[in-house]
Amino acid sequence: MKIPENDFFLTPSCVLGALNPGTEVLIGRIYDLLGLRWQAAGRDARSKTTCCTGISSHGDVMSMESTLLVVARLWSVAAEMGFENITTACVTSFAIHTECLEMYEHEPGLAGRVDGWLRRACGRGLRMPKTVVHASDIVHRYRHGLGEHFRYRLVEHATGLPLRVVDHVGCHYAKVFPEKVGGAEWCDVLTGMIRAWGGETVDYPQRRHCCGMGFRQCMIRPNRGYTMACALKKLESMAPYRPDFILTNCPGCNMILDKEQWAIREMTGVDYSIPTLSYTELAGLLLGWDPYDVVGIQAHNVRLEPLLDKIGIPNDRSREWIAEEIPELVQIA
Amino acid sequence: MNLDDLISLGHDELVNITDRELTEAYEEARDETDRESYGATYPNIRRLCSTPFEREKDRREVRQAMDECDAEMQEWYERARTESCTWWLENQLVARHALNGCMGCGICTAECPAAQYYDDYNPRVIADAAISGDEDRLVELLKSELLWYCGQCGSCRAKCPRENNLMGLISSLRFLAQLKGYHLASARGRQQYAGRHLWGGNLWNRAFSLYFRNASAEGHPDFGPRHAQYQSQVDEQMRRIGASPDADGLFGGRKVPPETLAELRRSIAWGGTLALWNQLEEHAAEDARASGESIDEYHDRVGSEG
Repeated sequence: MKIPENDFFLTPSCVLGALNPGTEVLIGRIYDLLGLRWQAAGRDARSKTTCCTGISSHGDVMSMESTLLVVARLWSVAAEMGFENITTACVTSFAIHTECLEMYEHEPGLAGRVDGWLRRACGRGLRMPKTVVHASDIVHRYRHGLGEHFRYRLVEHATGLPLRVVDHVGCHYAKVFPEKVGGAEWCDVLTGMIRAWGGETVDYPQRRHCCGMGFRQCMIRPNRGYTMACALKKLESMAPYRPDFILTNCPGCNMILDKEQWAIREMTGVDYSIPTLSYTELAGLLLGWDPYDVVGIQAHNVRLEPLLDKIGIPNDRSREWIAEEIPELVQIA
Repeated sequence: MNLDDLISLGHDELVNITDRELTEAYEEARDETDRESYGATYPNIRRLCSTPFEREKDRREVRQAMDECDAEMQEWYERARTESCTWWLENQLVARHALNGCMGCGICTAECPAAQYYDDYNPRVIADAAISGDEDRLVELLKSELLWYCGQCGSCRAKCPRENNLMGLISSLRFLAQLKGYHLASARGRQQYAGRHLWGGNLWNRAFSLYFRNASAEGHPDFGPRHAQYQSQVDEQMRRIGASPDADGLFGGRKVPPETLAELRRSIAWGGTLALWNQLEEHAAEDARASGESIDEYHDRVGSEG
């Protein structure tokens, strides 16, 4: 699929908004830097934006027809704002929107039925978008032009050697519709950015393994052993290749691969401390944007300052917490 | 009755309050605006989230929304409760597109992260059960723990030589299990009552399936002390980078207006989902009665067992 050039309706992400808000805000900042025309569904109290139903859908409490209607409503909002290209901040949203498009192709008469339901439910009509892509597709498309704005490259400040980077592409980006952008077998969306920005891509045996987020697996506490086991499998597999960091394009993976490293260390005694970065966080840091006030690296469990030191990006870890004095880490049960 | 009183009450005390009083009190508290700091913020959203008060309001609103909606899909899903599992597989929108024939090659199991973690899990067997047309076997599957092991990652889908959608099939069967009440036979299935009020409650009340305060340190001890520190100042940290915690705005934590919520709710209703949510309430109430628990105790227990 050809990645559209411009004019994007951006749908926000539940997980990014909750756990890694810097990544999401940076999408808009990068689009602005690239001079792209984009909007989300309202910036103020009249916001028309909603979830795509992804977590509820994969949490098995949402019918496909409800998902079709919620997504069709978002497409209708996009169309009334003059947009035909959907870019999602979330990879599960990418899969959900794409699944809706596929369902209309495979089910004769469905579009007419959904259009009728949407008119009765919301007074809106079904207006199919021209394209559905993930925000990382746009950054990938413009990776070279974006790189021209960078103040730093993915190289070690002291030696000039390229940083060694492993990628973890979100399952719902690459696997659910393997014939769409990205694809399951050969996926350049993140490795293309790494190479364009001066780094060295490093393969590892479990590159395609899921991070274990699993919706009901990570969100319902007794099921979290599955999540941790998957994250551990990934870390064990990549650790021998001594990566400088993990690059992600999925909100859930960016969360799990980073945050579960604490519990894995407590349970196994092995301290991997491999930093995790999303593609927009990485771009923001290489652009020289403030690590704390703009990129928000303090949301990460594994500290990013050693990586910034290696690249030569100035940082001051006393600025991570919002307080006059750095507080003691709170104790948890 | 003021908000402090309402959020301290359980289901048994809330039953005497009328639907209208309950909804009006909730909406008045939700929309109360603090214009003194950071533009407009809504300080009561965090207090209302995941309370017995919110869940009771949701139960009443779901019933009312069902009564007001004559959507064909709502009737279809109500009918599906009484039909056979094989009827579901032949007629439900996702299930009938999920399998294009399965030759039993097992690549789905070879690729499956859940099959690597759970010794007794094998997604190929689920495809086989669906194809078998054996009603007893399907009922047994719907009552089992293993139906709930899939992580919905789609690793199987990328490799299946027949382009089958096992992830969709499993989610569809889980939906059926809940409609019929078979999910009560397994601890993982019973968790769905907590899941419905977590994901569904967020969607119904805040227009997103995940609310940023769900990532609290208390709920995520596995995220460790550094995450707990971040969470202790999450509002300030989110505002610092341009997000909108419990505020008007574009990014994470935003509050959406009642008009948007109303459109979202009608979209959900017209797609038939409320037939499931209402059934989950009825099944949970019955199960709670059998175990001598209040519905609030039941909600908390099933979300912590498994």
